[in-house]
Amino acid sequence: MPAETLNDLLAAAGRAPEGGLRFVGRDEQATFLGWAEVRERALAACGGLQELGIQPGDRVALVFPTGPDFFAGFFGALLAGAVPVPLYPPVRLGRLAEYFDRTARMLTRAGARLVLADRRVERILGETVAAARPALGCRTIGELPAAAPRPVPVAAADLALVQFSSGTTVDPKPVALSHRAILAQVEVLNGFWPDTKEVRHSGVSWLPLYHDMGLIGCVFPALERDATLTLLGPEHFVARPALWLRALSRYRATISPAPNFAYALCASRIADSELLGVDLSSWVVALDGAEAVVPSVLHAFEARFSRYGLKPGVLTPVYGLSEAALAVAFSPIGRPYRIGRFDREGLAREGVARPVPPAQSGREIVSVGRPIPGFQLRIVGVDGKNLAEGGVGRVWTTGPSLMEGYLDDPEATAKALRDGWLDTGDLGFLLDGELYLTGRAKDVILLHGRNHSPEEVERAVEGVAGVRAGCVVAASWLPEEAPGEELALFVERRRGAPEEEIAALPEACRTAVLGATGLAVDHVVVLAPGTLPRTSSGKLRRSETLRLYLEGELKPPQKVTTLRLAGAVARSQLAYARTRLQRRGGADG
Amino acid sequence: MSLTHQETTILEGIATVARDHLGWEGPVTPGMRLVEDLRLDSIRLLTLAAEVENHFQVRLDEEDEAGIETVSDLVRVVGRKLAG
Repeated sequence: MPAETLNDLLAAAGRAPEGGLRFVGRDEQATFLGWAEVRERALAACGGLQELGIQPGDRVALVFPTGPDFFAGFFGALLAGAVPVPLYPPVRLGRLAEYFDRTARMLTRAGARLVLADRRVERILGETVAAARPALGCRTIGELPAAAPRPVPVAAADLALVQFSSGTTVDPKPVALSHRAILAQVEVLNGFWPDTKEVRHSGVSWLPLYHDMGLIGCVFPALERDATLTLLGPEHFVARPALWLRALSRYRATISPAPNFAYALCASRIADSELLGVDLSSWVVALDGAEAVVPSVLHAFEARFSRYGLKPGVLTPVYGLSEAALAVAFSPIGRPYRIGRFDREGLAREGVARPVPPAQSGREIVSVGRPIPGFQLRIVGVDGKNLAEGGVGRVWTTGPSLMEGYLDDPEATAKALRDGWLDTGDLGFLLDGELYLTGRAKDVILLHGRNHSPEEVERAVEGVAGVRAGCVVAASWLPEEAPGEELALFVERRRGAPEEEIAALPEACRTAVLGATGLAVDHVVVLAPGTLPRTSSGKLRRSETLRLYLEGELKPPQKVTTLRLAGAVARSQLAYARTRLQRRGGADG
Repeated sequence: MSLTHQETTILEGIATVARDHLGWEGPVTPGMRLVEDLRLDSIRLLTLAAEVENHFQVRLDEEDEAGIETVSDLVRVVGRKLAG
């Protein structure tokens, strides 16, 4: 019988395992857990969870650093028929108050009945747990009662995982994925690199386990093919990027993914002294996804590490989103990354991608490749119709690993999923069957491979002196020549605010955002009152704000004269008509 | 605020870490807040924690780190760890 659920995969791998999980610490000491042992620990945890009263369908939150206990909790929950909800552990030296607030909201939003956490986290999680009040409280794996497990049969259609596509205090979006969706994704991923006589594939990942690229992209594929996956904690990678490349070399791994910022970090932060004896020639596929892929970063990474055996064609730009479980488009394996150059005016003003001749300057965009097997892409224009190749519009996708929906949120789900197609919220075009991304229609800030909500950033400056209440917009975008996306804050100044307050505004805003969210703002744009564009109902328009800013057109409203009034009426009628068309296509309104 | 001799040495070590790993060129004084004044986002806070541990050969855990807001907080915690 073919495997239909993650539980089936665990049972199969547990029977005759060669592979497993290898945990590497910051001191590069390794602990290996074969899949049979992962299964044993999961069964023990399952017994304990059931003894506590966990029922099939219950949500079990997991707050762990990368380590064996995460997997005991994760697979233990699945074996009990429950649904794991991985959440991120607190950041070092971070603001615990904000962390507690966010975590409490996610726990409540996911309806978590129990929180499993490691001892260090459990100690400080007390307040969060008190606020969110999961019925069964918080336990470490060690605190689970000993009891014989009674694994519950689960079906392909059952929920296997709830993951938050961004951790936030405002409007967290819990993505609900079925076993079927996850297995479909895993099957496609493993199909890209089958074992051969010469090569038995293995992976290395430092990605967090609460992130789809780490969990669905690395762990489940290794489980499915009984391979070995070497895991490093994300906090260890960020502190010492060389650990990643050293592990790849030491364990002769072939597959490893990371977001763009990680490749940039490696190119700029790793010293040769950390790479003595490092040989990257076993690395076959370096997936680059989870955020915008930047041409200069690809060049820099290859240039820096080719002398350590990194081959051309290894860097593989990809595209996906958690609402599709993970991947939607892949560059062809083994093909050197493809960068297109397009006429800037055509892209910005006409929404058309026109390749420019080699000698001419143009906007460089990396191809993220073709839809993966089983998936389709279409580009939709403002009128709701499919666009031909070269036309820039909203990217929609369909395939076998789409989410069931946003947990307990039929309204948000209905906006994103229509007739089996998912509105990715991203903008781009197709050329020769390959996808090129140009920006985002959805209001999401993507930094360091993670989604953040603009509301959270905007809220952070609410109390800053000189800020006009309710008149703040946060947005991120990828400037040309920049190594990654930049975060901008557009702030209307309060009428009558003294000059000193206005002068201090940018710094005060930066500090407030840093303290509340841990995010660094790259640009603070102070505007006259009334400048930020709004919908006819008065709602702020983030993507429009960004668009106007990038075109140098963010201006305060002019004084009204009769002529201007007539012009304004005509323009607003046009804008209203456009808004109605946009609403039909599902854009911001 | 006056520091002991050991605390001054620790402060200098932190300043070195800030310069070498965070690109912080300016002065590092005890009263500075890590987030607001040293401008540390989540990633850079992580880097600071890890590199301070490496520089002084100590391990900081969650309880040590809870409540560290300023440079002098960090100096004090490192001093405690060095004392053993």
